[in-house]
Amino acid sequence: MSIDTAPTRSTSRPASRPSAEDSPSHTRARRSRRSERWVIILLLAPTVLGMGIFTLLPIVGSLALAFFEWDLITAPEFAGLDNFIALGADATVRTAFLNTIVFVVVAVVLQLALAVFLAVMVQSRMPVWLRLFFRSTFFFPLVLSAASVSIFMRYMFNEQFGVVNWLLGTVGIAQVPWLTTSTGAAAVVIFVFVWQNFGFSFLILLGGIAAVPQELYEAAEIDGARGWKAFKNVTLPLISPSLLVASVTAMITALQVFDQPYVLTRGGPGDSTRSAVMVVFEAAFQRLEFGLASAAGLVLMALIMLITWIQFRLSRRFVFYQ
Amino acid sequence: MPHPSTTRSITRRTLLGTGGLAAAGATVAAWPRLTGSDIPGRGEDVLRVAIQGTTQDAAARQDLADAFMAENPDIPVQFEAIQSADWGGFFTKILTMVASGTAPDVVYLATEGAQLFAERLAEPLDEWITSEAPQMVDYFQDVHPALVEAFMYQGSLYALPLDFNAANMYLNRNALQQAGLDFPAPDWGVDEFEEMLRTMQAQSAANFVPYYWTNRLFGGIVPWLYANDTSILTEERFDGGDWLWDTFYTPEKTSSRRGGYRWTGSNVSSDRVHQTFERLRGWVADDLSVRPEEGGGNALVGLFGSSRIGATPAGGYWAQGLHEAGMSPDAFDVQYFPQWRTQRHQFGTAGYSILRSSTRKEQAWRWLSFTARKEAMETAFPTPSTTPTRRSMVDDAFYSETGPHNWKVFYDTLDQFPTSGPIPAPPQQAEVENALARNVASGMGGGPAQLDAALERLDRELTAAMEKAA
Repeated sequence: MSIDTAPTRSTSRPASRPSAEDSPSHTRARRSRRSERWVIILLLAPTVLGMGIFTLLPIVGSLALAFFEWDLITAPEFAGLDNFIALGADATVRTAFLNTIVFVVVAVVLQLALAVFLAVMVQSRMPVWLRLFFRSTFFFPLVLSAASVSIFMRYMFNEQFGVVNWLLGTVGIAQVPWLTTSTGAAAVVIFVFVWQNFGFSFLILLGGIAAVPQELYEAAEIDGARGWKAFKNVTLPLISPSLLVASVTAMITALQVFDQPYVLTRGGPGDSTRSAVMVVFEAAFQRLEFGLASAAGLVLMALIMLITWIQFRLSRRFVFYQ
Repeated sequence: MPHPSTTRSITRRTLLGTGGLAAAGATVAAWPRLTGSDIPGRGEDVLRVAIQGTTQDAAARQDLADAFMAENPDIPVQFEAIQSADWGGFFTKILTMVASGTAPDVVYLATEGAQLFAERLAEPLDEWITSEAPQMVDYFQDVHPALVEAFMYQGSLYALPLDFNAANMYLNRNALQQAGLDFPAPDWGVDEFEEMLRTMQAQSAANFVPYYWTNRLFGGIVPWLYANDTSILTEERFDGGDWLWDTFYTPEKTSSRRGGYRWTGSNVSSDRVHQTFERLRGWVADDLSVRPEEGGGNALVGLFGSSRIGATPAGGYWAQGLHEAGMSPDAFDVQYFPQWRTQRHQFGTAGYSILRSSTRKEQAWRWLSFTARKEAMETAFPTPSTTPTRRSMVDDAFYSETGPHNWKVFYDTLDQFPTSGPIPAPPQQAEVENALARNVASGMGGGPAQLDAALERLDRELTAAMEKAA
């Protein structure tokens, strides 16, 4: 057996000659890459740390706490699955989660329909200043505090003294018990939520509509598609990615609804406007059942993840990417 | 050719260095905030006193703290104002402070949280009161024993009540006049009250509401239940308390006093409870009364002040509120709550309590005994924004500017109706209030069948709540 000791091009280089990798330019590039890596780490560090401390740790803590009984004062006691069993057995909890799902369906559909309608209207021909005015106006409720808006709306929808019933009265409509009947209270909570949140969906969809090439409308027009037909066959497919983003964010926000029902109705009358997050809040901060609250929070988180996953799965069929 | 200075770019190293320095500087500057050491009283050797309210409320009590510190220069006092929508929210925040190891030394405690705190957090005052009995005689002789018993739990006292409010009935004199009605007599009954509402309704404008009430433990349905000689919870008394009654009160005044209220279970299945709910539901159905909203009452002063409400239950705290809303003393007045089977009233009281976790208990007691003195209470309550628990402070001069003319009912409620009782607030108060509020709202919004369903559910929920360990 002979061993080929001849130098090969790839492995053997004269020691005295610097390789291309050892050349000053390559060393600089390597240093630069290392330096860039540090820059990336440095820039990401605050976010990663923040997410770790303020998001990940609480999630892990909440996950653990869901299996304990803890009242803030005495030491936590391991409870196994008791908190989850208690959640399932509690009629109020079941009602609250059901309310939340119904609320999400109604509120998100209304919010997206309103946002699409207004975005199309605003994107149609109108003076630039008017468009700017509508953009700002529709987005404005979103920057207000939900609690402040709800307090204000509570006065507006007061049965005896509210301005809404006063206005209805001027056209001969009898006083409506907005906040003291199940249907009225649910309607007001949905209205206030949609009014305050549609601005975000509106902005996303406005961007989507603005990005639709004008030529497509012109081509559609030549083919006889105008108005609703053009919207259905051109606008809607092309804004479907924006619609997906808007629906996912709207759905997640709606599943976490708290401020509006808490301030407007405290979840009442009865449990008719009690939401899932209210269950979490009441268990933790009214009854000091932090284990149960964590369990409810985890169930809600699982529900949000499930619905978001379903949305993304469905998006494969309905979302059109150019 | 461009000027050299305009073409000079900032190197990445400079940018990172500046950024790092800025981040370090910001961290150093924000360190007190990040560690929470800038929270008033935190880490300082001061007596921390938590009150429900805003920083303005804390500032308003500074005179009291200054007077105390002038007398006790070795005990600096720091108020911590805790904002919350109601007492329940306040107690939860205190509990959160306890859990985080930053509990105050003293808490201004109300009836709503008295038993919860007594059960878990508060220090009994018995030994201090007993050892300083001669100095405490003046206080107890001036304070009605019903108020003191409201802060007793299992025979021990957990706070010295400083202010209270009984649910009396405020009446709008303009509404009465418009309806051609006289101001009712002290022994008026529930039928007379209902008749008054019907007359007001018949004579008033469309947006007028004869009776306004809020859906909560104080001033909601509970005073009507008390007047009908019943309650949502079965009420008993703890044994004990003789150490206090025998020392400070004469036997005839305290023969019925024991060691505090003991609520043992749901009483909602009682016929009287059903009767009371049904009567109020009837008023709602007949538009004599509003459907009560949960946690409502924010607009109440303004609505009453503008004569859009005929009657509403409230305590002495309303005198100042109506005055500030611009209501003349001649435009309203107050009467005892109407009689049903009894004329038992509901009241709530408040006072300072020492936390068990405090390391300054002796200093805290000095604060408690100081604030119970008459001159200290006069500093603390310069206006009738509440009713002081010292009878000697509740006089004509106190209400001269605000009214009402019939202010005597505020304190006389306790003398005339000594069976008057505190808000039913067991250690499970939060669950009790929650269950009551939502089922009242549900029961008042429909017909008799809906009310029956709401009461059945209230009974179940209260039973479950009371079976839970506190």
